[in-house]
Amino acid sequence: MFFFYIYNRSRASHRLWSSAPLCATDTIFALSSGQGKCGVAVVRVSGPASALALRGLTGPDRPPAPRTAALRSIFHPQSKEILDRGLVFWFPGPHSFTGEDSAEFHVHGGPAVVSGVLDALGSLPGLRPAEAGEFTRRAFHAGKLGLTEVEGLGDLIHAETEAQRRQALRQMAGDLAQLYRDWSQRLTQCLAHVEAFIDFGEDDLIEDGVLDQVDNSVAQLQTEITCHLHDGRKGERLRSGVQVVIAGETNAGKSSLLNLLCRRPAAIVSPIAGTTRDVVETCLDIGGFPVLLSDTAGLRETADAVEQEGVRRAREKVEQADLTLVVVDATQLPTDPLQVPVFLGAHLLAVLPHGVGLEESLRHCILVLNKSDLLPVEQVEKTQTFLNKNPGLPPASLLSCHTSHGLENFMTSLQSRLSSLCGDPLAGTPSLTQARHRAHLHECFQALGQYQQYRDVDLALAAEGVRLALTGLGRITGKVGAEEILDIIFRDFCIGK
Amino acid sequence: MLARRVLNRPRSLASPSSWAASARTVTACDVIVVGGGHAGTEAAAAATRVGAETLLVTQKIQTIGALSCNPSLGGVGKGQLVREVDALDGLMGRAGDWAGVHFSILNRSKGPAVWGPRAQLDRPRYRQFIQAELLSMPRLTVVEGSVEELLVSEPDPEKPGKHRVTGVRMADTGRIILARSVVLTTGTFLSGSLFMGQTTSPGGRMGDPPSGSGLSRSLKEVLGLRLGRLRTGTPPRIFKRSVDLSLAQLQLPDQRPTPFSFISNGTHCKPEEQLPCYLINTTPGVERVVRESLHLNSHIQQDTRGPRYCPSIESRVLRFPGRQHQVWLEPEGLTSDLLYPQGLSMTMPPDLQVRLLREIPALRKAEIQAPGYGVQYDFVCPTQLFPSLEVRSAQGLFLAGQINGTTGYEEAAAQGVWAGVSAGRRALSLPPLSLSRTQSYIGVLIDDLVGRGITEPYRMFTSRAEFRTSLRPDNADLRLTLKGYCDIGCVSPRRYEEAVRMKAGLSEALSALQDITLSPTRWREKLPQAAVSANKSGIMSAEEVLQYKDVSFEMLASAFPDVLGPYVEFAERLKIEAMYRPHCEKQRREIERILQEESLSLPQDVDYLSLPVSLSQEVRELLDRVRPATLGAASRLPGMTPAAILHLLNYITRTPQRDRSAERSSTPDPQNLSDESRDSFPCVPVSQ
Repeated sequence: MFFFYIYNRSRASHRLWSSAPLCATDTIFALSSGQGKCGVAVVRVSGPASALALRGLTGPDRPPAPRTAALRSIFHPQSKEILDRGLVFWFPGPHSFTGEDSAEFHVHGGPAVVSGVLDALGSLPGLRPAEAGEFTRRAFHAGKLGLTEVEGLGDLIHAETEAQRRQALRQMAGDLAQLYRDWSQRLTQCLAHVEAFIDFGEDDLIEDGVLDQVDNSVAQLQTEITCHLHDGRKGERLRSGVQVVIAGETNAGKSSLLNLLCRRPAAIVSPIAGTTRDVVETCLDIGGFPVLLSDTAGLRETADAVEQEGVRRAREKVEQADLTLVVVDATQLPTDPLQVPVFLGAHLLAVLPHGVGLEESLRHCILVLNKSDLLPVEQVEKTQTFLNKNPGLPPASLLSCHTSHGLENFMTSLQSRLSSLCGDPLAGTPSLTQARHRAHLHECFQALGQYQQYRDVDLALAAEGVRLALTGLGRITGKVGAEEILDIIFRDFCIGK
Repeated sequence: MLARRVLNRPRSLASPSSWAASARTVTACDVIVVGGGHAGTEAAAAATRVGAETLLVTQKIQTIGALSCNPSLGGVGKGQLVREVDALDGLMGRAGDWAGVHFSILNRSKGPAVWGPRAQLDRPRYRQFIQAELLSMPRLTVVEGSVEELLVSEPDPEKPGKHRVTGVRMADTGRIILARSVVLTTGTFLSGSLFMGQTTSPGGRMGDPPSGSGLSRSLKEVLGLRLGRLRTGTPPRIFKRSVDLSLAQLQLPDQRPTPFSFISNGTHCKPEEQLPCYLINTTPGVERVVRESLHLNSHIQQDTRGPRYCPSIESRVLRFPGRQHQVWLEPEGLTSDLLYPQGLSMTMPPDLQVRLLREIPALRKAEIQAPGYGVQYDFVCPTQLFPSLEVRSAQGLFLAGQINGTTGYEEAAAQGVWAGVSAGRRALSLPPLSLSRTQSYIGVLIDDLVGRGITEPYRMFTSRAEFRTSLRPDNADLRLTLKGYCDIGCVSPRRYEEAVRMKAGLSEALSALQDITLSPTRWREKLPQAAVSANKSGIMSAEEVLQYKDVSFEMLASAFPDVLGPYVEFAERLKIEAMYRPHCEKQRREIERILQEESLSLPQDVDYLSLPVSLSQEVRELLDRVRPATLGAASRLPGMTPAAILHLLNYITRTPQRDRSAERSSTPDPQNLSDESRDSFPCVPVSQ
């Protein structure tokens, strides 16, 4: 009898179109153009599987020549559904922005097309949505950035992280958040029980029944996550646009500002403090940028339960905002201009959230000093001049919602903030956050499969599956550390040896 | 052989008298190790292996290597530490193989990554082995006595730290001994007090004199270190003849004992001579006695932090009332007439201890040889240490073992090895090194201690290691022995050669396995036991087939005797390697990322509060408080932001070359390192 030994050493892996050496990194993708009124959206891919992504979405034929635009139909690799027709680029490493193999898809700017392409990329093996600043960071590590460019990089990443955090907060405020948190808790419990069985099962009274419970929970979680993933976009309706929130003390004229901006009485205004008790939202187009404008209840201590809830919602809204318009009653301003910064500083402190650091909040804020019509003309001028040259404060506009005086000045200031916010590709793009969530949930689902695969073969590898699942979910809900696992172990079991 | 070595009385045994004779004179050596427990003995041995002239100071030579608490070694997580200590050529693994009387691999059914090699030990044999090793070790002198005070002088201004420790002053003779490094391993003796019932007495272990308060004062008042207080306890020892073992459940050892050490050919104890353990359960009566005696039990009433695991029987029944709790009766040795009741640590008055024991059927007539007691002791908050275990503010002072807030022999030994290596290297002007948590449990242990600190006595669990499936007991030699010889310098040539041979054998065998490829149909014919699925497409290598649950390397070797026959001695390790390799490959990427960040050291003298880098006030305060040694450690801090990490990365990259040179020096080459470049970095990670 003959046996054939086939030496698989010689099976060199052939890589189509590529010249860069294989490196052991993930392939990442992200929308890299801004939102707002743009005809074309750019989706960027970087990493060793870039060629695969390009093939997957445009078919195996006719690879584009390096660094040359090619017009292709772009389709979903699984459903084969045509998503768009657009330009694709292939940048073999090291001659690319990140130094790795990269690809770009220039598609039509609508949200449906963009999220379709992001979804399609996320469905390919080895691809995942980029973390904040990851493209730039890779470029930095590849030595593709000069020192001066690096200087600004930290701030950029900071901004991206912040934008993602706010976006996540918005999404986490709903039912979805409740669902993810529940999964995370159940998964943490599963992991704690598997770990207890591994670390203490031999000496202490931890019965095999513990693992049966875990088996059930894991199977249950798998079912729920699959259903959720297939249910997908029908889930939570996400509103896109820059979230601008009007906040301030009662009776400063917040609702008047909303009405002025949308040129219709969207909110009830009255001279009675506490008129607005809930959040009033309206969609606007300001200078070409999509804006979701919210008016909130005036912030004050109150005994009225309904108003208290309104104040709570107002604070939550401010925390999730991309931009906060802090409205101040100008008639309360001290007459001595030198006292003004202290007065306004105290106001800002009362309105803006402290959790993330005040510096950060200040960068996302415009001060609106309303009721200028009630001030003497010379004080208006003096104050405006003073505010213009006080760099310690966020941009401030003195205006009158009543007479529209100073509105133009304010609009210029607002539009410049909006354009910088919309230039940031990650701010307020729910589709990207959603793609990220889907990728992490998928990761979680697959890792749970590892638990089941190894459950009866090797418990260490099975536990690894639960750990990976929790890590995946933790990227949405927040990290669970070793100490928290141990806390559950010692809470649920009597460890005596 | 062993007996002869002890009887020979090598030079160090004669030393105490000669030391006494020359009292009050000043002597000097490279490294002084204070304490002869598991941390101290490993530290002294490691320092001498590195090449330093070392002096071990202990209260009684007779108690060197004593097992003060349980007569056992290893277990889940702890067994991994023993294997790693052994891979770095430490004593513990070989001592366990010499003294073990009951060997078993815990978690045998749960996957090799979490197997827990464990043994019951014969107390005198363990002590004898450790003493014989130490007393015949070149460059090591052992002296009896206790240290009253640390000698402290002005710091070397070129290095971080407010003080420099230059030696010790002995208590009885007042003699001064100078050294470049001092390792403190005082265990529970630092301001230790013993508790039993309502009586309290000073001391760190029953039967031993308390240590002077001088050391505690040196640490607290002179060096300004932050201390905390912890508690632990030990059970009463029971006369075996008074126990009705027919009422206990027999627990037999493994039929084929597995040695701890990579270089032991077997265990000293013959398989058939091994002793059994016994399992019994508590009764409601036990709970009753605990509750009735609470007012007479001052240890349990104190609020000093005790461990949540290995707690006393008092805290077990109070926290989980109405349950049966397991108690293991463990042999104390081949000739001992005592049993050690694991799980019955208690601090009530002795008469009540007897009453409690007698509530358990098998112990109805139990008599005790010594009652259980509790200990409270000071520890130094370990966040004040570098990853080399050197005290940040005191140049030349190293701490290891319970003084750092850990519990357990294995945790102590692991730190001992590393403190000994670090102290020895410092004395010889070699750059300090650190072990990464991605490559060893020792690294996990030290990183947790110095990075996060402790709130209860720290014990190793496998769940603390993120890369548990890569850090297995079977591959500790591949992970540590080669580096231990080439980079660290603490491994003997003999052990190194064995590890090299092992590594070569394994990798040849793995390529041979990968080179055998057949179609699934052919595999089914060749190896019917493997149950290769008919639906599988493509060709399969023998390595893939070895991953099947029911396939052993021996099966493959008998199917392919010419190609695989030569590797049968590696059979078990090859099976494990094949199982875990795909998963370890996946982890490698994450490990590399962490190592990359860990290779970027953060200067220790930097003033974070005024650093001209864009950092938020919160992050500045966090960095100032914790002072992470590397970018990797910084990124693991809760509250750290990606942007802050990038700014730090940018800062390091821009910092002048003086700091960069140290990073490249993972191969020790002291000549090329100016003191300046070395000391802006606390530790250089051991290369991969």
